[in-house]
Amino acid sequence: MNKNEFLNKLDKSLNRLPYEERKDIIQDFQEHFEIGKTENKSEKEIVSALGSPNQIAKEILANYYLEKIETTSSTKNIFSAIWAVIGLGFFNLVIVAGPLIAIAAIILSGWVAGGAFTISPLLFLINIIIFPGQFNYLDLFSSIALTGIGLLLIIGMYYVTYWSQKGFIQYLKFNVRMVKGGLKHD
Amino acid sequence: MNIQFKKGALELCVLALLDKQDRYGYELVQKISDQIAISEGSVYPLLRRLKKEQYFTTYLQESTEGPSRKYYQLTNKGREHLHELMEEWQHFTNGVNQIIKEGVKHE
Repeated sequence: MNKNEFLNKLDKSLNRLPYEERKDIIQDFQEHFEIGKTENKSEKEIVSALGSPNQIAKEILANYYLEKIETTSSTKNIFSAIWAVIGLGFFNLVIVAGPLIAIAAIILSGWVAGGAFTISPLLFLINIIIFPGQFNYLDLFSSIALTGIGLLLIIGMYYVTYWSQKGFIQYLKFNVRMVKGGLKHD
Repeated sequence: MNIQFKKGALELCVLALLDKQDRYGYELVQKISDQIAISEGSVYPLLRRLKKEQYFTTYLQESTEGPSRKYYQLTNKGREHLHELMEEWQHFTNGVNQIIKEGVKHE
């Protein structure tokens, strides 16, 4: 592999990064090659010392996505970050995926229940329209009470979702830090 | 040596090299790879991450030969972090050395 092949490969692997950032990275490596050449190293030597462009790109992408979810934690960003970190190879898919799916299911069911409770007067109305003979006050009042419970549930779920998201981001960062950060002894 | 182990130490190496003087990327890479066998390319992602964490700033400077070079300059925050890492490193290596000494001696 020569300099151009290396830079092309790196640039391709980084195509999900914003243009400015990508340009900056390529610039760093270009500089590396130029200085290496003034020390009479061949492009081949420099490339083989640098290592795999794919591996370099993986590390950059993982850092990028982790930084991104800190500012805007959309579901898409979180999944991108998860994949990027898994790609680095020190993120145990089995250990993480089980609890993650369980927690996600609980959160989802909370939202569904909250939504269903909230719209229950609507169901009551539909019922009356279809079967006008079945009107009774108990159904009416209990469906209004359910609306109240449903709204509270939705507000509660909002915070549960928010905090589980925060917690999970911390967990992802912990995975990266464990390997890339300092050597913690505590 | 274990690759994950090295990565943790790499951060400390970079910060330590910048304590006394500003250096450019290529120089940092060479200084480290003179002592430790690494994939040189992995230093650059690390440099980007540490810059984003504001442990250093960068500036461009013309060079008499070749292109202008990007220099890395340690910030106060970076220096503090360096001292924390050094302490952790001391603690860690002292522990390992002690275990080796006891383990190998009393065989």
